[in-house]
Amino acid sequence: MSAMVGGAGDLLIRPGQVPLLARPYYADGDPGPIVAALAQVPELLETAMPFLGAALGPSGIDWRTKEIVIVRTSALAGCRYCVQAHSVVALDAGLSHEEVRALRTDIAVADAFAEPRELALLEWVDVVAGTGPVPDDARAAVRRLWADHEVVELTTLVGATLLLNRFATALALPTGPDTAARLATEGLP
Amino acid sequence: MTATTVDGPIGAAVAEGTLPGRVWMYANYHCNIACTYCLTESGPRAEARVLGAQAMLDVARQAAELGFTDLGVTGGEIFLRPEMPELLAEMSTYLPVIALTNATLFARRLLDRIEVLAGLPVALQISLDRPDPDTNDAMRAPDNFAKVVAAIPELVTRGIAVRIATTVSSIDDVELDRLCALHRGLGVPDTDHVIRPIVARGRAVDHGLGVSAAVSDLPAELTITADGAFWSPFGPTVHGGLLDTDLLITRTTAPLAVPAQALLRLVEGQPRGADSTLGIR
Repeated sequence: MSAMVGGAGDLLIRPGQVPLLARPYYADGDPGPIVAALAQVPELLETAMPFLGAALGPSGIDWRTKEIVIVRTSALAGCRYCVQAHSVVALDAGLSHEEVRALRTDIAVADAFAEPRELALLEWVDVVAGTGPVPDDARAAVRRLWADHEVVELTTLVGATLLLNRFATALALPTGPDTAARLATEGLP
Repeated sequence: MTATTVDGPIGAAVAEGTLPGRVWMYANYHCNIACTYCLTESGPRAEARVLGAQAMLDVARQAAELGFTDLGVTGGEIFLRPEMPELLAEMSTYLPVIALTNATLFARRLLDRIEVLAGLPVALQISLDRPDPDTNDAMRAPDNFAKVVAAIPELVTRGIAVRIATTVSSIDDVELDRLCALHRGLGVPDTDHVIRPIVARGRAVDHGLGVSAAVSDLPAELTITADGAFWSPFGPTVHGGLLDTDLLITRTTAPLAVPAQALLRLVEGQPRGADSTLGIR
């Protein structure tokens, strides 16, 4: 048995209890609740973070596009933590309030997005992040406007985001105070 | 994963002294007594956190295969586990074993069973802190001194190797001389007497005892518990009923190569984590 009892806070490794392999992730201060939870299993943390970094971090696909995928996927998965955290990141990546609200399903996608590639991508995300089979015509539609390697990477991004969505939701990871304050400032719940 | 053998990186690191040769195991965390300085808050009501017998044998075998040179078994009081004499004997077929005990459970029945260890490369390290019952028992348990000084000659007579461990914040020369005279009289030579400081972890913290020990202060002795692998036997301590994780290496303990390689990587100062700059939180 471990300290994993009670609320989500008990799941997070406290600063004085950071395992040796996890210490690099705390070098710049609070690493956030995803790292602080994964630090319970250091070998998992140091394997997962490079993958998550490659999937969600900077890559050959631009920041705006990746945040479109992450926020939309998180909204469809109902992940409060990821929607809130990445709404802020999406704004920083240059998305408008209207676009963020559309990704969060507050308003229709068509009311905020017009660029064909982004619309095709959003249709693909909605299929991939949903349940059930993925129709051939949906795959064909996204492949008409996105290169094969981009489809593979963006599909991986949906999958990695879903992993984090379920992780954050299941463990009730807390939204950080800075994120909450920014959302309040931006008028986003 | 790359298979590691006695000729592999772990064995080489042990041979060149980069890694200590001993692998420790916490057999259990419960104990029949509750010392004031106990690292693990052990006591009769402590959570047992038992490391299974087969798991201990697997650690012993794999430690030998990897190139480690010695085994250590600690607790809790390990002889609360009835299978312990035979388990230690079997473990010693892989590597020499040192087993820590408070020696308060050696009634006739256990003494008879522990004869299986006679002549084997198994040493029992017994706690004896002071040369007088009152001062010794004050930090350990009533009658602890009497039970220990009764058990040691019984063990020595049976051909069991015995070491004495004295755990103190300080001890003056006169008291130490009397303690050494005592253990010599019990059949334990000076070469088998170790004195170690109280470390400020576990219950010692609550009593304001001990010295602080950072990772750099502790030899990187791979330590396997039911909760994971740790940097040192001073790592998997318990405070306030919660396991300390600051010296945790991996939760994975089998195959033993996983924590052993992670430990070696830490010792060599090559932890991964550069990706933390990506800002993935």
